[in-house]
Amino acid sequence: MRLLSAELIKLGHPLTWGVAAAAAVFCVLLAVGGAHNAALAGGTPAGHLPSCAELAIPAGPRCTRAQARERARVAQASAQPAQVAAQLNPLAAGAEAAGLMASLPGALALALLAGAHVGGEWSGRTMKNLLTQQGHRWRVLAAKLVSLWLAGVGLIAACWLALAAAGPVLVHIDHLPAAHESAARALGLAGSQAARALLVLAVFAAIGLLAAVATRGTIGATAATAVAIVAMLIAASLPGTGRWAPATWVQEWMGFPAGQASITSLPNNFWSRFISAGAAPGQLAGLLGLAGLLAACWAAAVVLFRRQDISG
Amino acid sequence: MAAVIECRGLTKRYRGTTALAGLDLTVEAGQVFGFLGANGAGKTTTMRILLGLVVPSSGRAWLNGKQVPDPAALARAGAMIEEPAFYPWLTGRRNLDLLALSGARRPARDREISAALDRAGLTGVAGRRVKGYSQGMRQRLGLAAALMRRPAVLLLDEPANGMDPAGIREFRTLLRSLAGDGTTVFLSSHLLAEVGQVCDQVAVIHAGRLVEQGPVSQLATARPRLRLVIDPADQPSALALLHRWRARADGPDAVLVEAAAGREVNEVLGRGGVWASQILPERAGLEEAFLQLTGTREASDATAQR
Repeated sequence: MRLLSAELIKLGHPLTWGVAAAAAVFCVLLAVGGAHNAALAGGTPAGHLPSCAELAIPAGPRCTRAQARERARVAQASAQPAQVAAQLNPLAAGAEAAGLMASLPGALALALLAGAHVGGEWSGRTMKNLLTQQGHRWRVLAAKLVSLWLAGVGLIAACWLALAAAGPVLVHIDHLPAAHESAARALGLAGSQAARALLVLAVFAAIGLLAAVATRGTIGATAATAVAIVAMLIAASLPGTGRWAPATWVQEWMGFPAGQASITSLPNNFWSRFISAGAAPGQLAGLLGLAGLLAACWAAAVVLFRRQDISG
Repeated sequence: MAAVIECRGLTKRYRGTTALAGLDLTVEAGQVFGFLGANGAGKTTTMRILLGLVVPSSGRAWLNGKQVPDPAALARAGAMIEEPAFYPWLTGRRNLDLLALSGARRPARDREISAALDRAGLTGVAGRRVKGYSQGMRQRLGLAAALMRRPAVLLLDEPANGMDPAGIREFRTLLRSLAGDGTTVFLSSHLLAEVGQVCDQVAVIHAGRLVEQGPVSQLATARPRLRLVIDPADQPSALALLHRWRARADGPDAVLVEAAAGREVNEVLGRGGVWASQILPERAGLEEAFLQLTGTREASDATAQR
């Protein structure tokens, strides 16, 4: 615990505060755009259903299907304002914050923090000081991992707070309908997503830790973590890899809508849009896959670090 | 006396480069021990192995009686390896606090930090951020970090770098007082005059091996030399005649020869038609002894320039 408290003090680095502020600003800007999109979508006329002639399709089953699709689109558009207003409820905004931080924005933020907080010990040549005080190298890594993960949790909190403050203002400005969800339901949704995000953030932190140990520097750690995350997303879109790709485990564990369905007025993640819908594992497979990935990254980092010469 | 530091056949290879080639070394408790060698001789690598920062390729080393790497050996060791590094956005005191938190629990942490800052002469600036420190102040903070745990053994690698003359003097006094308190100081430095003044024993390593170890006085006086005053026009001939004694010029009208008898030198010169106006026996200082032992051309040139 003492080592962890030392690591948390080190996280008072200006970059950490910068990343937290950037995460909060990103969430608010996304909410501004989302609320505006929802207001525009809500203005779509819903009364008129286009005829087969207007759709330039001969009357028959094909036209009927096209009309049904159009009806669904209009219904979805008209539901957008209420949906976005519900997402921006101060309590429910936790789900939005958790989804964003357990996807690409959070992964990139943690890549930056892994570079500064872990890789920076090599670049700043402070690792030798640390290891001459604490000879158990695995303890140093454990403290780094937990502190990095807590920084990720802090990013969710920063985003949640920013959305909770900005949400009601945006709903008012864009004339979105008031959300009718109960506080308990909103909090339950936010709590569930935030709890799930904890595992995903731990995996991102472990990837960042391994990248820092392997590259032994700030820039290397940040770049290697970002490359690993992007590679995970690319791997998930390759044919036949769906079930075995870590990115798919994240998607299923977090319950993100598949593929293009995740692109809405106010998206709740920046992850599943990069994964083509296909054979996906269930939530349990997602949980096991992420837990396995976390354990593998941790073990690899410990083995590598234990035999590493600290020469800087 | 018990050995605080011991190395047996210590070897370290880095991708084709041999930093240590079977180093054997013993440092007994309560000494100020100078560890000398030219750049790349293996001094820092030895210290890093002792502190568990570098894994040896072969051989074994013990610190505080425990074979390294052993975290328990570090609990009673303080170290400053090369230029000390700190978190620049934190104050000096906060940096020491972090290091104290990172190691074994200490009952009087704050008091020990204050005492270490005081001993290093940093009490007045302990509340300032490290990014505003000069190199000498950082060096002092490194020393405070090393002293913080009241170590039984202190490993210092070039600790006086960047310190002003007054700081070096204070530092010398500090090392002697630590040794007086029973702390073993293992000191690597290029300031041979300082080493000569402060150390009880020295070891010289060259190309990763121990060349010599013993008391400073013995190391320096074991190598007598002769200073020959001659006509500047005869200097090249004298150097050629006396080359088997590693003769070298010392100014335009003098030649130094190592470990030679005056009579024999005089005879050789006479046979060659060169006559010295004076032949003076001299005792080499630690610097001369070091240069002879390591035989590095670069070091010799640097000394000649000084």
